[in-house]
Amino acid sequence: MKNLRRTSQVLIFLFFVYLFIQTEYKGRNELGLPVRLFLDFDPLIALSSLMASHAVRTVFLLSLITVGLTVFLGRFFCGWVCPLGTIHSAISYFRMRTLKPNRSEGRLPALRPVKYYILVFILVAALFRWNAAGFLDPISLTIRSLAIGYNPAINKMIRAALDAGASLDIPALSPALDALHTKMTGTVLAFEQPMFQQALLIGLIFTVILGLNLIAPRFWCRYLCPLGALLGLIGWKQVAARVENNRDKCISCRKCVVACQGDATPFPPGEWASRECLVCYNCREVCPASAISIRPTARRTGEGNVDLGRRWLLASGVGALLVVPAVASGIQRKRTDPLLIRPPGALAEREFLRRCVKCGECMKVCLTNGLHPTLAQAGFEGLWTPLLVPKLGYCEYNCNLCSQVCPTGAIRSVTVEEKQKIHIGLAFVDKNRCLPYAFGRNCIVCEEHCPTPEKAIVFVEEEAVDAQGAKIILKKPVVKPELCIGCGICENKCPVLDRPAIYVTAVNESRAEENRLFLEF
Amino acid sequence: MLDRRRFIITLAAGAAGLLLPKGKLASFPQQSGEAKDPPAGAPPKAGKASLAVVRGADPGLATRKAIELIGGMGAFVSRGDVVLVKPNIGWDRTMEQAATTNPFVVSALVAMALEAGAKKVIVADNPCNDARRTYVRSGIGEAAKEAGAEIPFMESRHFVKTNLGGEVLKDWLAYRGALDADKIINVPIAKHHGLGGLTLSMKNLMGVVGGARNLMHQRLSESVVDLTAFFKPALSVLDAVRILKANGPQGGSMKDVEKLDTVAASADPIAIDAFGITLFGKKPEDYPMIALGEKRGLGTGDFRGAGFVEVKLG
Repeated sequence: MKNLRRTSQVLIFLFFVYLFIQTEYKGRNELGLPVRLFLDFDPLIALSSLMASHAVRTVFLLSLITVGLTVFLGRFFCGWVCPLGTIHSAISYFRMRTLKPNRSEGRLPALRPVKYYILVFILVAALFRWNAAGFLDPISLTIRSLAIGYNPAINKMIRAALDAGASLDIPALSPALDALHTKMTGTVLAFEQPMFQQALLIGLIFTVILGLNLIAPRFWCRYLCPLGALLGLIGWKQVAARVENNRDKCISCRKCVVACQGDATPFPPGEWASRECLVCYNCREVCPASAISIRPTARRTGEGNVDLGRRWLLASGVGALLVVPAVASGIQRKRTDPLLIRPPGALAEREFLRRCVKCGECMKVCLTNGLHPTLAQAGFEGLWTPLLVPKLGYCEYNCNLCSQVCPTGAIRSVTVEEKQKIHIGLAFVDKNRCLPYAFGRNCIVCEEHCPTPEKAIVFVEEEAVDAQGAKIILKKPVVKPELCIGCGICENKCPVLDRPAIYVTAVNESRAEENRLFLEF
Repeated sequence: MLDRRRFIITLAAGAAGLLLPKGKLASFPQQSGEAKDPPAGAPPKAGKASLAVVRGADPGLATRKAIELIGGMGAFVSRGDVVLVKPNIGWDRTMEQAATTNPFVVSALVAMALEAGAKKVIVADNPCNDARRTYVRSGIGEAAKEAGAEIPFMESRHFVKTNLGGEVLKDWLAYRGALDADKIINVPIAKHHGLGGLTLSMKNLMGVVGGARNLMHQRLSESVVDLTAFFKPALSVLDAVRILKANGPQGGSMKDVEKLDTVAASADPIAIDAFGITLFGKKPEDYPMIALGEKRGLGTGDFRGAGFVEVKLG
């Protein structure tokens, strides 16, 4: 059974990695299966989004499958499915092999309630319509950290290695490495080297979480994971696979305790904690006396479940009640940030923040690498939600990939035709920097790249004399606000690289009545 | 010997053309490959035009005819050559929107180059929109692949710093595949362009360089002439099957597209561009790049001189 479990972990993890790599433009407008599939089955995401947005989405039904199975199988998701769990498993496995087990046998049972307090905080926040699940939900955390931190770094390392080999000019090997680089580009490697703002921070946080395994195996899963806490509560009966330690056969060797992935105390007999059990089957496998059985039964086989401490639960609830209004009421900010250019299809800001789980999928899939995580632009409650940075990547006119991958409908599903009519911002010409206005030279790059069929940038012509003394017609760009959709390609291609002479700000975005600029066009 | 053989072949082709059902327009002479009567004093080039314009409903056939009229692909591609066919794959648009080269024109050129004995034919461009999208939506990726070409993306590490030795373009990043190719076949689409101009064959060569191309617009005529002088395309084929008459170079609206069903070919890029200018009802002398190109010895803007042929395929 343990081998079956390991196989399940590996296969599902490989599937996760495959979907992750597939969450990218591959040549067709419709994505196949993006990695949001994992989020669709996640009950914490569904519950938090449901409570915060008051909107029922059909896709939430998929998470009921997870819930249903958990009722019978306990935290099988943690032991057999969760990709972050598999990563922790793998690291812990190597840790156990290389480091001597410490005296506490890698257990910190006093920390077991912490994940429940985190869960309570998330649920109270959702009650007050702040969707905070995405920060610490394991699926969202993993996708975001991999997409923004690890994937760019891994891409960079592989490319650097291939390029180094290719530049050495070793006959046969160097051209082969160059060809390999080309083959891997767009398949396993990203099409272009991705980069993200806050990549270092987000990658570092994930690394620290992984590093916790050095303190205790599967530290995150045992003591911090709010999804694990939720599943533990749902699956506490675990009737299909209850662990029982036969006290007549038990020889008190404590091998099961050391092997237990979840800190579920299979020893002493009668102390098994179903809410902590990850259904890994290690205990039964390792017991030399065959004292441990795991089978369907209705009997209570262990009383080890942590008493959640009503006092602490109350404290965490009250804490949430105090923190959430301060964070989520927008008391810091009355006017919208000009840089908060949201992806086309994004709901109005309040609704958007009630749904966005900061999973980073839209940022990963954006084919120009234009979407990046916010820091302060959307307030603390909007931390790590997506915004467009035109200097880094513009919004491709015929693309709607971000609206395809969003798991909660924060970016609602739009067709390409609908998307092309959505204004996400407005371009402004800085006449102090624009070449024809400031230097009397023609440029026109912005107009050239403007994708709207009737161009949103037109020229005002003026006769002038160029640097060589010849008579020229200066073409000075002017933005037509009724046509400009704020895609940002003008800013992206403007040759005034450091501070573009034409730039987009969020004002006049279609989704926001409060950000409207013109009374009429 | 070769001249005589070619003369007979083109004569036979012309005769076959005469036997095809005639089109409505009588203004185009139903001609064989013979050159039109040149101005007095210049000897006619036997059987070989210097600029051929072919009108026909089938872009592939029109392309083949045009190449044939200027001497056949064998006059431009030698056995064992590595050939770069450089279409416009610059924009995320479909063939009908006339922002990118007609894929049938491209595939015909690829096929002809391979038939003439090319070792390898590469079709590539450095586009303004995402290359994964432009190669697909333009239809060129698939058409070129079917015709037997390699269709690499121009990856950034394959650009090398090169001295273009131009009047305004000095050191610039150039695509390694263009530098290494034995022959470049430049196949642009004729379009309106915002900088008061048109984008034809010389501007199309912007697609084999990288770097800060958005600076070239400040001296656009000089830049495109510099590019042509450096890369010296062996053959220039102008796709005027559909032309973009306004809101170029990207277009997007069908009302800016005019269907001319025309393909023009020449070894002379200046002549090709001069001809292309007339398709928009404009005059070559109004475009500085023509005079600049002539001055640099790249060709002549007087395309209606000796060797100009217009043919209509039935």
